[in-house]
Amino acid sequence: MNTTDEQTDKYVKVVGRKESGFLASLIKRVFFTEILQGMKLTLTTAFKKPVTKQYPKEKTEARAGFRGMHALVRDSATGKAKCVGCGLCAAVCPSKCINIYTSEGPNHEKVVDRYEIELLRCLYCSFCVEACPFGAVVMTEHYEYSDYSKGSFFMTIPTLLDNWDKYMEGRRGAFYLDNFWRPKTTDFATPTEQAVFRPKGTNESTPPATSPAPSGDTAGEVAGESREKGE
Amino acid sequence: MDIGLTTDLKGFLWDVGVIVFKIAVVLAAVMGHVAYATYFERKIIARMQMRLGPMIVGPYGILQPIADGIKSFFKEDIIPTNSDKPIFFMAPVFGLMAALTTLAVIPFYDGFVISNINIGLLFIFAMSSLGAYGIILAGWASNSKYPFLGALRSSAQVISYEVALGLSLVGVMLMAGSLNLTDIVHAQHEYPGGLYIVPQFIGFFVFVISAIAETNRTPFDLPEAETELVGGFFTEYSGMRFALFFMAEYTGMIIMSSLAVLCFLGGWMLPAFVLKLLPFLAVVPGVVWFLLKLYACIFFYYWIRATIPRYRYDQLMAIGWKVLIPLALVNIVITALMKLWLTSGRT
Repeated sequence: MNTTDEQTDKYVKVVGRKESGFLASLIKRVFFTEILQGMKLTLTTAFKKPVTKQYPKEKTEARAGFRGMHALVRDSATGKAKCVGCGLCAAVCPSKCINIYTSEGPNHEKVVDRYEIELLRCLYCSFCVEACPFGAVVMTEHYEYSDYSKGSFFMTIPTLLDNWDKYMEGRRGAFYLDNFWRPKTTDFATPTEQAVFRPKGTNESTPPATSPAPSGDTAGEVAGESREKGE
Repeated sequence: MDIGLTTDLKGFLWDVGVIVFKIAVVLAAVMGHVAYATYFERKIIARMQMRLGPMIVGPYGILQPIADGIKSFFKEDIIPTNSDKPIFFMAPVFGLMAALTTLAVIPFYDGFVISNINIGLLFIFAMSSLGAYGIILAGWASNSKYPFLGALRSSAQVISYEVALGLSLVGVMLMAGSLNLTDIVHAQHEYPGGLYIVPQFIGFFVFVISAIAETNRTPFDLPEAETELVGGFFTEYSGMRFALFFMAEYTGMIIMSSLAVLCFLGGWMLPAFVLKLLPFLAVVPGVVWFLLKLYACIFFYYWIRATIPRYRYDQLMAIGWKVLIPLALVNIVITALMKLWLTSGRT
């Protein structure tokens, strides 16, 4: 008895269970108030808009920062892939699905002979994109690429360059470059929203090198914000 | 003599022809309703859960029941090796037969009833109890544990709720003074309150709950509790036999709903005071009112299903024996006393 008294003194009851009176519980039992509340809920829900998306007919636009099928960025100056064959992406890849083969060119430069990604092993972590110092390997918003053969999931330089042309060429690519890929050769700054140790007084780190948002439909959008369009 | 016999024969054949025609009409109408009851059930419950329901077959999935029918017709009819085959074949037919036979005594509007017998209500009770045989035999013949458990549950449930269902309608029988469903509707029309749901609200309450339990619908769908018993009594059934069980269940639902319409909601007629207030409503044929009331009842079935989770088995039994049957008995006593009190002065 004594201990329970002490305990009641010690602990303050924050959430109490409210005991309803005899009449209230009688009304509750006779008129099924809780079941009626539930039925009201289902009836009102019946008149709301269903959340179902009929997938093949109506497609959801990928959100900004989506990690879909890979692409190799085409250098607009040379028309070839930007990749220099440093192998950082292959080194960081957790599932080891990137294979790079290089050789020495006629002018003693490094030539990327083969750049292969096995999509079926990829886990879409986007580490390769983060690791790439030149922003040469990126991920597109393309996600519908089911196929009957395994061969179509083995990406090579031409197919990866094709992906760039198809899905990321132009404004979309520029928007992603500024906001998500941010290669280390052009953007050294720690993003302001990233939690890192900053010495006192240097509260404002260098802002990310954001060029003015390239297009109307993507302006002012940041990661995580939904981009529902085309509907 | 000869001529008389032929006229008798002609009259007999005419009667038979009329009855066969009525049976064909009722069967076609009810089967159509059963098919689309599944469609609307899926649609309504989907909307109550913010889904869309069937959308692919035809516009808004309107042809879904037809596709389902064709599919179940051409599906392989799997018969378990260890099943009791004659009973296994018979059980779904038996269930559906019991459900469809009941339709014979239900008046859809004034005069349109296949057989206008004076024990209509009793006949319906008898047949709906027989329907439980389909379930029990199916569970027994499947020779498998889940169907057997489902069948056991079903037999106990149907026996318990049969009592409450019967007792809940005794009040109506007392007030109408008849077991004939047509007479009950007419008596309701002459009753100043218009609908028997007003004086018999306790009876109606008991009736609704036991009708849901009687037809094995959620929240009393323990015989086919998917989460516990795979599929319940029809776990081992496939193809058209499975579909027969479904047809029996939905026919039972339609019958229970029409029973509620006939005994409590005034059948194919509107209450007299409504007709006095809005005389133009008398133009509308009775079958329209009957169907509207029927659809409201069936919608209530779906609504309940979308809202309330399944009861535990002991709760089911407790509700049946400790709440519904005493309530129904009290209702009978009160109704009888009131009738005695109201009629004693006049005789």
